[in-house]
Amino acid sequence: MKAATMAKRIIIIGANAAGVEAASAARKKDRAAEITLVTQEKTAGYSRCGLPFVIGGQIPGFNDLIVYSQAYFQMLKLTLKNETKVTAIDTKEKTVATADKAGNVETLPYDSLVIATGADSFMPPIKGREKQGILSLRGLEDGEKIDQAVKDGAKSAVIMGAGLIGLETGVALIERGLKVTIVEMLPQILPQMLDADMAKMVQEHLQEKGMCILTSKAVEEFLGDDKVTAVMAGGERIEADLFISAFGVRANTKVAVDAGIPLGETRAIKTDARMETGVKDVYAIGDCAESLNIITHKPTCAQLGTIAVRQGKVAGKNAAGDYSLFTGVLASAVTRLFDVEAGVTGLTEAAAARAKIEVVTGAISSKTKADYYPTAKPIKVKLVVEKESQRIIGAQIIGGEEVTQRINALSFAIQKEMTVRELAKADTAYAPPLCETWEPMVLAAEMVLMKLR
Amino acid sequence: MVKVEGYEVPEGLYYSKEFSWIKIEGEKVRMGITDYAQKQLREIVYAELPEAGAEVKQNEPYGTVESVKAVSDLVAAVSGTVEEVNSEVQSRPELLNEDPFDRGWLVIVKPANLQAELPSLMAFDQAVEWHKNQAQAK
Repeated sequence: MKAATMAKRIIIIGANAAGVEAASAARKKDRAAEITLVTQEKTAGYSRCGLPFVIGGQIPGFNDLIVYSQAYFQMLKLTLKNETKVTAIDTKEKTVATADKAGNVETLPYDSLVIATGADSFMPPIKGREKQGILSLRGLEDGEKIDQAVKDGAKSAVIMGAGLIGLETGVALIERGLKVTIVEMLPQILPQMLDADMAKMVQEHLQEKGMCILTSKAVEEFLGDDKVTAVMAGGERIEADLFISAFGVRANTKVAVDAGIPLGETRAIKTDARMETGVKDVYAIGDCAESLNIITHKPTCAQLGTIAVRQGKVAGKNAAGDYSLFTGVLASAVTRLFDVEAGVTGLTEAAAARAKIEVVTGAISSKTKADYYPTAKPIKVKLVVEKESQRIIGAQIIGGEEVTQRINALSFAIQKEMTVRELAKADTAYAPPLCETWEPMVLAAEMVLMKLR
Repeated sequence: MVKVEGYEVPEGLYYSKEFSWIKIEGEKVRMGITDYAQKQLREIVYAELPEAGAEVKQNEPYGTVESVKAVSDLVAAVSGTVEEVNSEVQSRPELLNEDPFDRGWLVIVKPANLQAELPSLMAFDQAVEWHKNQAQAK
């Protein structure tokens, strides 16, 4: 009798995008549950994605990135244990062991456990990587270190990796007056996000703005005595004051693996449609968890903020005894690099080829306002369409503005399994200061239809 | 009306650290949630309030407010008997976002022990300081 009336205990490991979202969703379902968030970080509930824009100076301070105030945790009766590490999970006894900064250890029992341990910056086995002075950009403290290095007079930076974080950080440092060199092992920038033809447009813009970009060049060695002073990349020695590793991130799964919670083929924690792991009452969300790609139906670990919060909401509800399903990932993403915006949803042409999906593509260059309107900016829309069904399965857009909501519109179209024939007949709005008469998405659809004839 | 770090803190009210305000109106006390509180919750879509005649106790929940994303208890700033409930807020909870100190009031209470409980609440100057600290600490 007593057990039945006891408040449900929900423990969430991690307290940023995914974790706090899960806690909020759990609280909405269960007003009485004891909800505890455990995080190794000092600050909880902040936006990682905003870090480059504090470094760039668009956002005044790192504290401005805190999305969830102490008051929010208090009002929702969420217990936050910060600077506390989860050292072990016992899925049989249903407990987690924690250790705080002072070394105090605790064993916390749970009814539902949500793992939102995120991802860590990845460092390949490069010679000299144990040397000091290689920074990365993952947490608030990483951001503060880079900011401090700039304040201390750094004049140049080498960024290793031309993914979103590498490029956004590169732009920020150029805005702060540094000379920036990007080293990328693959032949193009943004290899996860864009096809080579679209990436080239972004690369040209970045180069015009003074970014030095070296593609098809691997970092071979970190040079310097104790502290790194140069890197060898593609046989070339590049000196700089600041070295930032942006090789990518890897799901942080150690505590889950130690507890016997199974990983999937992406090496992130395997989940089902309720975001539950292979172990009952244990959920995984955010950058440490995998889920299904809507097009390929294969596991994916796209590690984006929007996926983290959507998964968090689903897991939080389920952890509190509600019912909710995660409907999958298109990995829609956007970025702004100087004056150009780039976005993607669904599969690129290259990703479709890897999945053995045959496609027809169409790409249209247009303007963001009527062609004759003075401030019109260029925009290019590329559609990726599956040959047999004629369904849209991917899109990429590069433009001076108005990229994000087009990406969202195409994401909705893909989720609703819209065919390119339907998109070509779409009803769109028009006014000269806002857009062109013929929407470029519609024209791109028209182009694909012509190729399909 | 004073604004502290973007949050309204009107004079003449008493404030609790659980994000409630009260206004002493003769023998009675009007109670609501602060601008700071509604801004943490964002668009409020549901307010669950007690019936007239219910007893409320200082520092204990007497209702809930639910927004699109969050849900929070309403924590009483004073003890007493609910005499009147703002039915307009129940049908239009967005008043809590639009006008938390005026049209968004929640209940009118006949206080049971106001003189003893008042010292635990913050007067205007203290409330300004407290809001400043809250906003800066985040």
